[in-house]
Amino acid sequence: CLSRSSECVEQVMDQVEKYIMTRLYKSVFCPETTDDEKKDLATQNRIRALHWVTIQMLCVSMDEEIPEVSDNVVKAITDIIEMDSKRVPRDKLACITHCSKHIFSAIKITKNEPASADDFLPALIYIVLKANPPRLQSNIQYITRFCNPSRLMTGEDGYYFTNLCCAVAFIEKLDAQSLNLSPEDFERYMSGQASPRQHDSDAGWPQTGPAPSTVATNTALAQLHDNLEALLGLSSRQENLMEAAQSLQSDLVSWQESVQQEVKDILEKYPLEIRPPAASAIDADNVENDRLPPPLTPQVFAG
Amino acid sequence: MASGGSGKTYSFKVVLLGEGCVGKTSLVLRYCENKFNDKHITTLQASFLTKKLNITGKRVNLAIWDTAGQERFHALGPIYYRDSNGAILVYDITDEDSFQKVKNWVKELRKMLGNEICLCIVGNKIDLDKDRHVSVEEAESYAESVGAKHYHTSAKLNKGIEELFLDLCKRMMETAQAEERLKGNGASQSASSRRGVQIVDDEPQATPAGGCCSSG
Repeated sequence: CLSRSSECVEQVMDQVEKYIMTRLYKSVFCPETTDDEKKDLATQNRIRALHWVTIQMLCVSMDEEIPEVSDNVVKAITDIIEMDSKRVPRDKLACITHCSKHIFSAIKITKNEPASADDFLPALIYIVLKANPPRLQSNIQYITRFCNPSRLMTGEDGYYFTNLCCAVAFIEKLDAQSLNLSPEDFERYMSGQASPRQHDSDAGWPQTGPAPSTVATNTALAQLHDNLEALLGLSSRQENLMEAAQSLQSDLVSWQESVQQEVKDILEKYPLEIRPPAASAIDADNVENDRLPPPLTPQVFAG
Repeated sequence: MASGGSGKTYSFKVVLLGEGCVGKTSLVLRYCENKFNDKHITTLQASFLTKKLNITGKRVNLAIWDTAGQERFHALGPIYYRDSNGAILVYDITDEDSFQKVKNWVKELRKMLGNEICLCIVGNKIDLDKDRHVSVEEAESYAESVGAKHYHTSAKLNKGIEELFLDLCKRMMETAQAEERLKGNGASQSASSRRGVQIVDDEPQATPAGGCCSSG
C-alpha cells in the first residue's frame, strides 16, 4: 500500500515535470540571464582543440576493430548528441543512460567482464570527445536545475549523469599529465604543430611489427573497408528497390489497362438495351387467373 | 532524502573508493550478485549496483556507486561523493600503496563532508594473508583514529562482505534517525539542509518608525 502510493506520487511528479518543462523549455533552457551559452562555446572549442586525443592516451578498454564494439560506439555517440533534442529533463537523462549502456556493451564485448567505473569513465570521456555534443553545458545545467533531485541523487540515471559531469570536468582541466604526455608534446599537439598520428607514422613505417601507426592504419583501413562494404550493400539494396518500384509501376499500368479491357469486353458482351416498359395490369402475368374466386365486393348492411 | 519515517523506506547512497587492482569491483559483484570471476557472468556492468535489505523490519535501498580509481581522476572525487551517506574505502592487504591512497581519501572525505558520512575501511584479499604488507594493528588503529570502522574481506572466499554492508547500513540508519530527531526538535534551521532546496524568507526589512503598514 505504502509503496504503491509512493509510486503514484512519483508518476504524478513525472507527468507534472513533463508538462511544465515542455511549456517552459524555451524560456528556461540556456536563459540569457546566465552565462550558459558562453560556457557551451568554450566547451565546444575545447573539445575541438582536443581532436588529436587518441583512445590509447585515455587507456580506454574498447577495441574498435571489433565491428560490434564500433557499432556500440557509434550508437553511444548518437545517443549523447540526441540529448539536446529532448525537452523534458527525464528524457535528457534517458539519453545519457542509453549512451552509457552502449558503452558498457562495448566494454563487455572487448573485455568479457562487467565494466567497472575504472573502465567506464575513460570510455565516456572518449565518447564525449568524439561526439562534441551540442550545447553540452546548457544541457547539464538544465538537468541540474530542473530534474527531480531524488532521481539525480540516488537513481541509476543520476549515476550516469554524475559520470558525464565528471567527464566534462576532466576535459576542461585536462593537461599533459592526465594523458601521460610530456608537456612539450602536449603543447605541440594543442597548437596543431604536430599530430600524434602523423608523428607516429613517420617513426613507425620502417619498423616491423605492430607499431602503433600500423595499428592505427589498420583500424582506418578496416573502417574504410567496412564503409565500402556498407556502401556496396546500400547500392545493391537501392537497385533492388528501383527494380521493385519499376515493376510496381508497370504492374499498375498493365492493371489499369486490363481493368479497362475487361470493362470494355463486358460492355460488348452484354450491351445495355433500354426497352420501353410495356403497360400492363399488375396481375397480367398471372397464369391461372380464371380459376380464382371472384373478388369480394363491398356489401352494405342495414342496421 | 535519505531519512524517512518509521514506516518509510530508507534510500542510501554509498560510494566505493579504491585503487585499480584492490578488487572493489569483485567485492560489490560478490555482494550484489554473489559472483566471483565468473566467466559466464551476464551482468553488463559493475559500476552502479543496488541492493534491497530488510533490517529490523525497516526497508533499505542501497545504491552503490563505483568511482574511477585512477590517479588522473583523483580531482573528480567530490563530484562523485557529494550527498553520499556512506563510503567504502578498499585497499589490498598485500599492497602498502593502496592503503596510503585510502588515507588520502579519508582526509578528503572528512574535509568535504564532515562527520555526516559513515566511513568503512576495508582490507580486501585476506585469502592472500601470507603476502600481507599492511599490518592488522596499523590499519585498525588508523581507522579508529579517523572515526571509521575497519573490516577484513575476501571477495574470492566470500568472507566478511555481508557483515561489512549490514553493519554500514545499520550505522547509516542511526545517522539518519539522529538527523530526524534533530529536525523533530525544531532545530531544523540549523540542521543540515544539504539535501534539497530550502527557501528562506528575506530578512524582514527594518520598518521605519511609525510606518503605515505595521500591524500589531
